[in-house]
Amino acid sequence: MTDNKILRELIYQLADDNFIHSYRGSEWLGLVPHIEEDVAYSSITQDTMGHAYMFYKLLEEMGEGNSDELAHARKPKDFRNAILLEEKNGTGTYLDNPDYDWAFTVVRNLFYNVYKETQLESLKQSSYEPLSITARKIETEQYYHLMHWKTWFMQLMQSTEEARTRMENAIRRVWKDFGGVISQGRYADEFSARKYIEPEEVLGQRCLDKLGELCKSVDFNLEGKPGMEKGNGRNGEHTEDLKQALETLSEVYFSDAEASSW
Amino acid sequence: MVTAYEFRHLSEEEKYERFMERIERGEKIEAHDWMPDDYRTNLIKLIAMHGISEIMGAFPEKEWVPKAPTLHRKLAIMAKVQDEVGHGQLLLRVAEDLMKPLGKDREDIMQDLFEKRLKFHNVFHMPAPTWADAAIIAWLVDGAAILTQTMLLKTSYGPYGRALKRICQEESFHAKHGESLVLALASGSDYQRKMLQEALNRWWEPLLMFFGPRSAKEVGHSKVDVNIKYKIRSKTNEELRQEFLTKYVPQIKRLGLTIPDETLRFDEDKQQWIYKDPDWEKFKQIINGNGPKTDSRLKLRRDSYEKTAWVREALAKYNKNRMLVG
Amino acid sequence: MEEKFYKEFEVFSRRRSDLPMEHRFSILAPNLEMAYILAKENFFRRESIHDLWVVERSNIRRMSEEEREGFKRIDNKHYRETKGYADLPKQWRKLEEMLSSEG
Ligand SMILES: [Fe+2]
Ligand SMILES: [Fe+2]
Repeated sequence: MTDNKILRELIYQLADDNFIHSYRGSEWLGLVPHIEEDVAYSSITQDTMGHAYMFYKLLEEMGEGNSDELAHARKPKDFRNAILLEEKNGTGTYLDNPDYDWAFTVVRNLFYNVYKETQLESLKQSSYEPLSITARKIETEQYYHLMHWKTWFMQLMQSTEEARTRMENAIRRVWKDFGGVISQGRYADEFSARKYIEPEEVLGQRCLDKLGELCKSVDFNLEGKPGMEKGNGRNGEHTEDLKQALETLSEVYFSDAEASSW
Repeated sequence: MVTAYEFRHLSEEEKYERFMERIERGEKIEAHDWMPDDYRTNLIKLIAMHGISEIMGAFPEKEWVPKAPTLHRKLAIMAKVQDEVGHGQLLLRVAEDLMKPLGKDREDIMQDLFEKRLKFHNVFHMPAPTWADAAIIAWLVDGAAILTQTMLLKTSYGPYGRALKRICQEESFHAKHGESLVLALASGSDYQRKMLQEALNRWWEPLLMFFGPRSAKEVGHSKVDVNIKYKIRSKTNEELRQEFLTKYVPQIKRLGLTIPDETLRFDEDKQQWIYKDPDWEKFKQIINGNGPKTDSRLKLRRDSYEKTAWVREALAKYNKNRMLVG
Repeated sequence: MEEKFYKEFEVFSRRRSDLPMEHRFSILAPNLEMAYILAKENFFRRESIHDLWVVERSNIRRMSEEEREGFKRIDNKHYRETKGYADLPKQWRKLEEMLSSEG
């Protein structure tokens, strides 16, 4: 494997995580518990799509092709996002009869964003300069995102019994596949050998420590290691949920073969 | 002018007279000022409808948010729809402050919406089956809304005017976003141009309806006169519709599109547009909650609101817990 | 304390350090922390801010309409404004004329 190919593997993970995560956020538009929250969450979703865009641009500059093509025209098996992030917000679709789970969303968003913060910290020291510059830029928006989901998490965890039960169930569910978020996939060792990012175990542990502390502050014990029950998205393993997501995301993109621009 | 001492002793009629003098002078009325009941009820009706229309207005476009064909379009339409929800937020706050003395709050607004007691604009009851619909909505529905909202900027009710000032600033981005979308389609492939023309055909009648009937004749009642008396608004529905036609007919033609009304023409003698009247009976039906998409969109709103009721309950309690702990 | 989700908060911000605090609008939120995070994106999605305040409305003592009438001033306080001293140049000239005629 060339250095270049290794590097691209890592950037696909970053781009696809943000892209799919933002997509699941955009499905919540108009359906969240509170109008003011709708506006706030949508900003985070946009920022995250903006981050995906920046990573796809890096790939474009490396000769991988046009960023819109990278986002819309690849096959599911070519995606490198964590499976946890592609999972549906609940049953139904955003267009029709959605039964979306706010507790799952809050926990997933918080856990992923704690990892993303840890990841960005490390990427700032990346030996690939465009990546460290991008990480620095993205970090400026990350502070608010984390604060937002922390506030939701802390409050729901300390409110009614019903909310507590829902939140604890959500934590257990997220935990089952959170291992796929901290995984760096089959090229993990090459990433750190080339100093693109710190080793998987180091970053993973740093992230789990932060999460453990957060949960402890609201009297919840994160037990054992996070799992990877549905497979490792970093290696191209995915679920039906990703297929559905990509079909929606590229419906218009593919609707007209003649169209040269939109 | 009255002094504070005199003000305290004014009779209801004197207060009304004084209120009308303030209106005549062009003064702005504030939420806690004395106001006649029908001023309050008309404002609530107008602003709650405006606000909830922004909220429901997010729905047809939001269908296209994840589907937008490029990353840039995805970001732009997301920002646009978010702004609309934000407009809803501002306007509902204004309406809620007016409703407060009547013992009503956001919860009542939501229930009124679900029970079809609170109406929303005809255009947001309509389907948006293609990407070109999202383009026509952003360009022309927003274009129509901008004309109405600009007219309302000078409204006699201070908080409404302040909300509209912010809204109008954001609308200028919506107009550009819409213009960019229709331009791309109009200069695109045959498929894209056809899609755009079909969307225009679908939206033309709803757009003419958007401004409301010419007079009470068409639908049997109208609040326009009262609203003009109180300087809540300054132009009639027909004046706004004429403005819309003047502004957009030439632009639509420039795009190479055909307006689906063969009778449409500008009468030089009368200095006004002659057009085929929309079906006002249909308008009445739609406004009353019997449009093609009314029920499914209301169901989406209601389901999501009810399924997240536990969240609002939890956070209402969270304060109390903290009080106990802290 | 009332168990209510919809509480009213007023939002204030300062754009730059050399500008005063400005009232932006109000929001509904269940508590102060939530109001704060919601305020940021409801009102500052296009601009950066130097400072942000969120205040629960029940903590604000506001002016009534009667007080608005009662707080009006008579326009007779020129002595505390610069325009009440518009004749100073004339006074200077007078003094100078006096001194020169004396000299
Ligand atoms: Fe709007
Ligand atoms: Fe708009």
